Amino acid sequence: MTTAIRNYLVFLKRCARIAFVGDWRYYVWMGILTTICLLGLNAYCKQFVHGLIVTGMSDEVSWGVYIANFTFLVGVAAAAVMMVIPVYIYNNEEMHDLVIFGELLAVAAIFMCLAFVTVDLGRPDHFWHLIPGIGQFNFPASMLSWDVLVLNGYLLLNLHICGYLLYSRYCGRKPAAWFYIPFVFIAIVWAISIHTVTAFLYVGLGGRPFWNSAIVGPRFLASAFTAGPALIILALQVVRRVTATASAVDSDELLDNSTSASGRPATLADLDLLARHLPELATVSLQIRNDTLVGAEVLELEAGKVLLRQGNKDDAAFFILQGRVVVKREENGRFRIIRSGGPGDQFGEISSLAGTPRVATAITEEPSRVLRLPADSLRKLMKNPAMNKIIHSRMTERLLITDRALLMLRGIVQVSMLINVFLLANEVFKEFYSGNLHVASAKYLFVGLHGHHALVPWIWTAITFNLTAMVLLVLPLSRSLKWLNLTCVLAITGIWIEKGMGLVIPGFIPTTLGAIMEYQPSVNETLVCVGIWAFGLLCYTIFLRMAVPILQGRLSRANEGREAAPAELRPSC
Amino acid sequence: MNRRGFLRSSAAFGLGAAALAASLKPLLELKDFTSMQKFLQKYYKEMTPADMAKVLDRITKETERQYGVRPHVRDLKPMDGVSFVYALNLTRCIGCRKCVHGCVAENNQSRTPEIQYIRVLKMPHGSLDIEKSDHDYDPEKVPEKGFFYMPVQCQQCTNPPCVKVCPVHATWQEADGITVIDYDWCIGCRYCMAACPYGARHFNFTKPSIPNDGLNPDMAYLGNRPRTMGVTEKCHFCVQRTRVGRYPACVEICPAGARKFGNILDPESEVSKILATKRVFIQLKEELGTHPRFFYYFDV
Repeated sequence: MTTAIRNYLVFLKRCARIAFVGDWRYYVWMGILTTICLLGLNAYCKQFVHGLIVTGMSDEVSWGVYIANFTFLVGVAAAAVMMVIPVYIYNNEEMHDLVIFGELLAVAAIFMCLAFVTVDLGRPDHFWHLIPGIGQFNFPASMLSWDVLVLNGYLLLNLHICGYLLYSRYCGRKPAAWFYIPFVFIAIVWAISIHTVTAFLYVGLGGRPFWNSAIVGPRFLASAFTAGPALIILALQVVRRVTATASAVDSDELLDNSTSASGRPATLADLDLLARHLPELATVSLQIRNDTLVGAEVLELEAGKVLLRQGNKDDAAFFILQGRVVVKREENGRFRIIRSGGPGDQFGEISSLAGTPRVATAITEEPSRVLRLPADSLRKLMKNPAMNKIIHSRMTERLLITDRALLMLRGIVQVSMLINVFLLANEVFKEFYSGNLHVASAKYLFVGLHGHHALVPWIWTAITFNLTAMVLLVLPLSRSLKWLNLTCVLAITGIWIEKGMGLVIPGFIPTTLGAIMEYQPSVNETLVCVGIWAFGLLCYTIFLRMAVPILQGRLSRANEGREAAPAELRPSC
Repeated sequence: MNRRGFLRSSAAFGLGAAALAASLKPLLELKDFTSMQKFLQKYYKEMTPADMAKVLDRITKETERQYGVRPHVRDLKPMDGVSFVYALNLTRCIGCRKCVHGCVAENNQSRTPEIQYIRVLKMPHGSLDIEKSDHDYDPEKVPEKGFFYMPVQCQQCTNPPCVKVCPVHATWQEADGITVIDYDWCIGCRYCMAACPYGARHFNFTKPSIPNDGLNPDMAYLGNRPRTMGVTEKCHFCVQRTRVGRYPACVEICPAGARKFGNILDPESEVSKILATKRVFIQLKEELGTHPRFFYYFDV
């Protein structure tokens, strides 16, 4: 038990440490974000002292950009579930690791949500009145109390799921399904609930006809499932980019150091050595071991030797007996480290078994001893159930951000955007066709009311962006990543405007007593918002900084105590 | 760690600490810190009489320190067998806004920025469409031909949406029908303001300011005691007056006799008779199901 706690603390310590290590790009990025964060904090301190008067809000428009951003970000958090569904319900292996990126984004988004509601409070010192059990929690009557529960619950669920998966990977063991799969399914339902509850915050107010419409909930979900995955598409490409190493150096290295295929025949003693790092091997019968050794070889290699090359077709699989091997993948002329493995690890088994070309290149990082098995030998070894299980489970643990995974997300964005625009059209029809008195807010938003039209340019920008994004998504053009990225940016911006300011502000204009008081966020208020966004990005960057090396196998219990070696932590990401 | 590394990390740490300190600098301007006693103050309904005595003592001292006037602060409970109702005669109201200013003085509302519980709407003849109302008319010219005047304040709903949405029970309806606020419990989320269909709730966007000689020292905990920055407030039918048998300030000050107030459970009260005899009276936005205790009637 104490070792378990010790190991976990070491894990946390190493994660915390790695957040402070990176190349110059990392330091510049983090430096900029920290500076903006502090500017936001400074602006918030002013608000804390002087009150919400430093914002553009008033008795008439009593919620502004804080709540608008909160609403948008709840959607982003909820949309993480769209990554989970293909993996766990449709068993799409390609997106397996990407789920963790989605859930980490959810965690960062909820941090931002909580920050946005906190800065909106007039009495942040009274926040404890909201804590169930200590304060006075108006549950279930107040939708805000529901929101407190579902948001914090969702935060815990996601922290548990990605924390557990990452720690399991760090320890090099297979996560116990019962310990996270049930939570994954709870999180799927929960994600829908956080956004529905947030919609109900508005829908439940009978005195505000602009919000009091049943379609707001479905619209929230559709726009969230558009903007969320769109944001993940962009984030994944950034991850892919920064985990790539410069192409020039590596490709030279690859050209020169190809290894020839000769080694000595493997013996039972080699298998015993491997069994020390791979306990499952101990259960294999002598009969199978002897069968496996047919054609098996042991290679002694210096650092920097290529064991297998991306695109080549050969049928061997490899187990590391000693040393370290890094697996890289070439994407668009750059190399990206997919993972690195130590004694007991395997690679090359997927194409060995499937007879397909190599999807990546494997190079020794240190002087290494490697066991090479022909495909037939590997199949024989896999007759043993324990080996079969471990080899299969490891086959799925690969950090591959493939174009196919991005296009799968594009499919989600596409359908959601179509539904989103359709629902918006429904709303617009209902507001304008009947022509009753409640149309005033919608009129203010879309065409202006009695000479007041602060939001009109914004909403038409949003609509233009959304429609353009929709058309691009339907066209095959957006299968190219460049166009897809543009589409995602348009969709995210469009929805941010439409669902943030476009939903919150018109609810207050005209007021319940028919007066028109426009709202313009103040400089201070804007600084607080920008600060919170920077804080969210900072959190997400740190999460990725920790998660990527763990998924790549570069930060694991096996290499504990070796983090002093800068080469291991610094490179590429 | 080598010497260079140590120098570099201590420089980075120092820079970070300096930047953090610089961004926290505005906090130096913070004048009135929340005292521990106030921070830990219990919820109104959970206070014992002894707790309440301490709180009233704190409020008295704080008010005296700030305004130089020693207030008389009480915790007034609803009277038995009383259910308050308000009736306003639209035929009589002339739109002079005397009620607005009488209310401000009575209830210690902030003068800058201005908070007013009553909003008088100038309405075009023949229409109750609130979107046609004018809020900024000149009171010197009233009454103008072709218009009527409709004062709106907290309608004291029997089914109040503001109470339902408050996440911390900081606002509730009392036995005499008055919806009150515990200003020391409100977290300032302003959800009640979004929920109120009558624009009755107001927020202290900054520290309220009241001239020392303008302070009304006759105060109630749930009524007109001075509010702090960051909480909501609204009309409470002048609990500091009505729970000791007096009329609300707006009723007393109205020069046209348009405002009537009383106990609906007493069949002899003026409001009981009005509601029993007038042919037409309206509740504002009746379709929302809020069931206001505030009725508008006409001389018919």
